[in-house]
Amino acid sequence: MSLLKPFSKLPGLNTANILLVENQEQLQHMLADVLVKETPLTVTVRLAKSLPLPVDESRPRIDLVVFIINLTSELSFQSAEDSLKYLDPGYFLGKVCFMVTNARHASVPTERLDALRRLAASLHCPLLFAEDQTPEGVIGAAERLLTILKVSAGVVPMTTALYLSNLTRCTLPPDIDQPSFD
Amino acid sequence: MEQTNASVTRTPLDSVAVKRKSKSRSYRQSYRSCLGVASRLGLTPARRLTTNRKAPESHNITRQVNPEHLALLVKNEWQLAYVTPLHQFRHTQLRSYARHLSAFVVAEKQQGLAVEVSGLQNGFKASMTVVQGMSEADDDPETVLIQIHSKPLFSRPDDPQKLVWSGWLTCINGNPEYLHSLPKDFTCLPLFVYKGAENLSSLVKSWVQRTFDCCFGPLELSQTSLQWLAALWTNCHAESNIQHLRMLWTLPSAPPLQVTYAVDPHDVWELWGSVRKGSWGDGAGEARWIDLEEVASFMQSLKSHFYRHFKLDLSAGILNQVSTALGSARFNGRIKISNSAYVITTLTLLTECALLKMPI
Repeated sequence: MSLLKPFSKLPGLNTANILLVENQEQLQHMLADVLVKETPLTVTVRLAKSLPLPVDESRPRIDLVVFIINLTSELSFQSAEDSLKYLDPGYFLGKVCFMVTNARHASVPTERLDALRRLAASLHCPLLFAEDQTPEGVIGAAERLLTILKVSAGVVPMTTALYLSNLTRCTLPPDIDQPSFD
Repeated sequence: MEQTNASVTRTPLDSVAVKRKSKSRSYRQSYRSCLGVASRLGLTPARRLTTNRKAPESHNITRQVNPEHLALLVKNEWQLAYVTPLHQFRHTQLRSYARHLSAFVVAEKQQGLAVEVSGLQNGFKASMTVVQGMSEADDDPETVLIQIHSKPLFSRPDDPQKLVWSGWLTCINGNPEYLHSLPKDFTCLPLFVYKGAENLSSLVKSWVQRTFDCCFGPLELSQTSLQWLAALWTNCHAESNIQHLRMLWTLPSAPPLQVTYAVDPHDVWELWGSVRKGSWGDGAGEARWIDLEEVASFMQSLKSHFYRHFKLDLSAGILNQVSTALGSARFNGRIKISNSAYVITTLTLLTECALLKMPI
């Protein structure tokens, strides 16, 4: 079983590797174009449609795995949930992040967003909402990812991914279990 | 709910993490307490539609409601909007409201014209009537029907006026807690169903906004509501033949693929029966409850059947339209109810959607 392991390889000097997992393969390309322009840190972006990844010895150590979910499509959510099984538990100490697009679309039922919130809260992962229709939105999303990536790659002194995840993890609003009308 | 996003994405910009920890904790505490207060006051509405719902019974409401009004309702396709509660709306003053509305519409239409057009030529006359008998629960305010008649251009002076715009303000089976929690002067009629020219619609909306200090907004039907409508209409097949269940899906490919999925009524009735196996056998005449899980498994079986034949997974797409012989509903908020027996049930669901979508 090819579990992706976070600490099986040594980190590189002043480099960071990020893996973007998206079922629809749209936002990941745009994000990748923005992320690679970062200096002085060398960012390597790897793209995938879903996990498990094929066995590849030359793959460097992945510092951050980002699941990009389009809330209007049920399949996108399902595929991200199924991919979670193929990550080593060591990743869930701050090296996994969820990024959601189209959260305000009218066709999205509230149950889907609630289910996603519960999932992210149970895994102690941050949940970021991104706007992918404009270049400014993509740049903003990439900047947020870079902040978390820098910490996960270890280039930010005095803080680690686990410490950061305590601050950025998704929390459930207190009325998430509020009974419906009836 | 935007506040939750802000608290999640507050990643510290520098490595001074120790100071920030206390700040974010206090921010979260204050947010939680403010939400707690709001929910104690009963002002936050439910966050999702009801998970179980009574199976629709055919209501013969022609006894209660004026058959002309009903005929008007079932004949047309309507656009949906939600309305925030109206301030100082009196059901007894409808005549004066109608006069104000006519004057407003005429004035707005004449704006910009240098010459005064004679009032009778294409004067607009608005009328507001109360539709008795449509409200289900005791708390519901009565439904109000607004109609605008006008003479078409180039008509002879004694031609009758034609209906050019009509709209209904209604609340059916609204949440009693919410209705009770409103202050004294407010009337809650959250569902606005209208049809007519766009400029007249915006005029009526702006008049109502000005007079009763409320807000309008478009009401789109979410995926779950469309699935509920599909299931509720299928459930009615025993009493009135639905003739077909047609669903329109849009799949995000390049170019976008539109799939029309039409199911024979007998097959879909059998499928629905097998999904609801557990609750059959209740005595006839007892109201049966439909759960959200049953609706979800019904839709899932329809999608997996499609996948088995065409290898296309419909969950990657968006459900745009559901239509049966009893009515059709589109994602962008257009609805048509073709059978007067199920008006109450459909409007109940739509009232709930409107109440959910309304910003408090």
